[in-house]
Amino acid sequence: MAGRGRGRGGSGLSLTTEQIQALGVTRGDNAPPTLVPPPLFPKLEKKPLPLICDAATDYMLIVKDQFIEYLHESPAFVKVKTETDGVERYSDKYKMLALDAKQNKLLDCVWVNMPTELRPQAKRPRTVPRKRKLDDPEEIAKRLQTLEKKETLETDEAIDGKKKELNNENVDEEEELEDEHEQEYELDDGTDYANNYFDNGEDYEEEDDNLDDGPVY
Amino acid sequence: MSHQLGRVVSVILQRYFGENVQKVGDDLFTYGSKPIALLVKSTGLSRIKVVESLRTLLKYDLAMFEPTPNEVIADYRLIPENVLLMIRYPRYLLQIKTKYGSEAEILIEELLQKACSTATVLLVSIAVKYKDDKQASVAELKEGSEIPTLVPVATITPEIDVRAVIKIMNSGNLAESSDNVYWKVNYDRFHQDIRDEIMIKAITRRIDENAGELLRHMLQHMYLTSPAWAAESTLVPAVELREACLRAAADKPLLNQYFDQYLKVLEESGCGTVRADAGGRGYSVRGAGAARGCLLALLEGLVTERLGYKAARIFRIILDKKYIEEDDVQKNAMLPNKECKELSYKLLEEHFISLQPMRKTASAGGMNKAVYLFHINLHDVAHTVQDMCYKALGNVLRRASHERAAHARLLDKQRRVRSIVHGMRLRAEPQQNIDDVEETLTPSELAVLQGVEKRLKQLSAAELEIDKNLFILKWYFMYTH
Repeated sequence: MAGRGRGRGGSGLSLTTEQIQALGVTRGDNAPPTLVPPPLFPKLEKKPLPLICDAATDYMLIVKDQFIEYLHESPAFVKVKTETDGVERYSDKYKMLALDAKQNKLLDCVWVNMPTELRPQAKRPRTVPRKRKLDDPEEIAKRLQTLEKKETLETDEAIDGKKKELNNENVDEEEELEDEHEQEYELDDGTDYANNYFDNGEDYEEEDDNLDDGPVY
Repeated sequence: MSHQLGRVVSVILQRYFGENVQKVGDDLFTYGSKPIALLVKSTGLSRIKVVESLRTLLKYDLAMFEPTPNEVIADYRLIPENVLLMIRYPRYLLQIKTKYGSEAEILIEELLQKACSTATVLLVSIAVKYKDDKQASVAELKEGSEIPTLVPVATITPEIDVRAVIKIMNSGNLAESSDNVYWKVNYDRFHQDIRDEIMIKAITRRIDENAGELLRHMLQHMYLTSPAWAAESTLVPAVELREACLRAAADKPLLNQYFDQYLKVLEESGCGTVRADAGGRGYSVRGAGAARGCLLALLEGLVTERLGYKAARIFRIILDKKYIEEDDVQKNAMLPNKECKELSYKLLEEHFISLQPMRKTASAGGMNKAVYLFHINLHDVAHTVQDMCYKALGNVLRRASHERAAHARLLDKQRRVRSIVHGMRLRAEPQQNIDDVEETLTPSELAVLQGVEKRLKQLSAAELEIDKNLFILKWYFMYTH
């Protein structure tokens, strides 16, 4: 403990040579700093034991493959819709054959145990689309009339107040529009030089101080 | 729920069920429970595809649903443990085959494929599949159905009417079955069997074959009285055990001769598998002890494979002494100083051992020397190892799918050639034609394919190995929560 403060008068952030020796690191150990990233798959120092490969494992593997094959053939395997590039190919005929065979098979489940939304629902007869009110030209005419009446009523009642508000709004909008136009005009000079180019001069960021030691890994 | 677990679940779903189901499964894993509308939005798949994927997941018991507060819409939730179980299916089949024969195996295989079905449907489909060879044995199948590993979804065991089955078989119309009882595979019972096998094998390796036999009888007695996964079973009286052994193991004279000695040896060096009660009248099987013993063996093996036998020695020492200082480790392990330190720090890095600081406050003002003790926190280490296993399993599956994708064209070609040749052989075409077809696969392609197949086989075998470890870990965790 007394030896800790001997080498350095300061707070002892690094270790003295004695301590380093005590830890077991000798002098010649420091490898030169590497400048290559460590390999993605470093070499294994201890190789693992070989896998057991007896008849039982073989049997299990075969069984597993069979099970996976079965699943892939069944409707349990949900197919992704592959996008074609629109080019007709020779193999399309065979692919279509294979697809059609599996196309409409429904997965065999206990439907009672499943929530309603998952059950196969018979195609509902398409309900007559509701006639939208505005499709009818008569309705349109009627609507326009009612709107006109409303407008005249409103304008009679509150002309002054509304006009003033509208005017203010219009003025604001115009100003905004003007500003935008001005900004656009600034940006687009019509010259080839980029406006944001700012030359700081040659000695601006030259203080290197060798802070850059290379990548640290 | 860890990140690695999510990754494994995702890769398993992709391998077995395809990408759409994988996407849905991923989403459910990350967000917990979700209704269909949210799933459609977040996965970007069409509603039909989402519905199909959910059907698949629910059918194979990989997801469940519960009502939202709305009561009309259902929330779906993924069950990760069941997804991991899919890796274990071949093991179940092997188990059944060795214990009960190949007919039982066919039954279980069919049931695994269908996930859930009535007895009549099951039997009829088996009969149809194996029409050529096993027609008569269908009737035997049902009588041989003393298979305890099936469990009806309700708790009543129905009478299976043979005549009805045969009638349906002949008419070929499955809709006529009036069976209302659905059957499922009882995974728990399989796990019990696997656990028993592990225990018996362990004891056999450690002590003797006879001791293994003894344990088997003890387990049989245990099942009569106590629940299967109890941490400690009820007492098995020694007298009963002796009689059972005398009756059953007539060809093991040594066992009967040295019965008492075997019991004692089993108790002392069986790593806590068996414990005698005070008077020596009976013995109880300690499931928790056995799990712990197996876990320790697993950890030692793992350390040996990863870091070498010297690290394993250090590990065992720390395990023995519970709390030990660094210098003491070096003294006990009898390894050169530097190496010992290096290995113990490596063990620490991989989280196999942990540090416990102890401050000896000598006096106020003096330098406080902190003593660091190594110790093993078994629970934490088990979790670390479980995560490691998930990661490894994920990597294995991912690598396998990469290989398959890279050589998809070649594998496809090989499959087609094989099916064509098979068809040609059935039609007894001349050998010349068969050779011609086989030659479409050039020798270089064949060489590449052989390499690919070998690698895929290795990866597949690795899956099963990792699954064995996961089983032991899960067994251990059963007793510590």
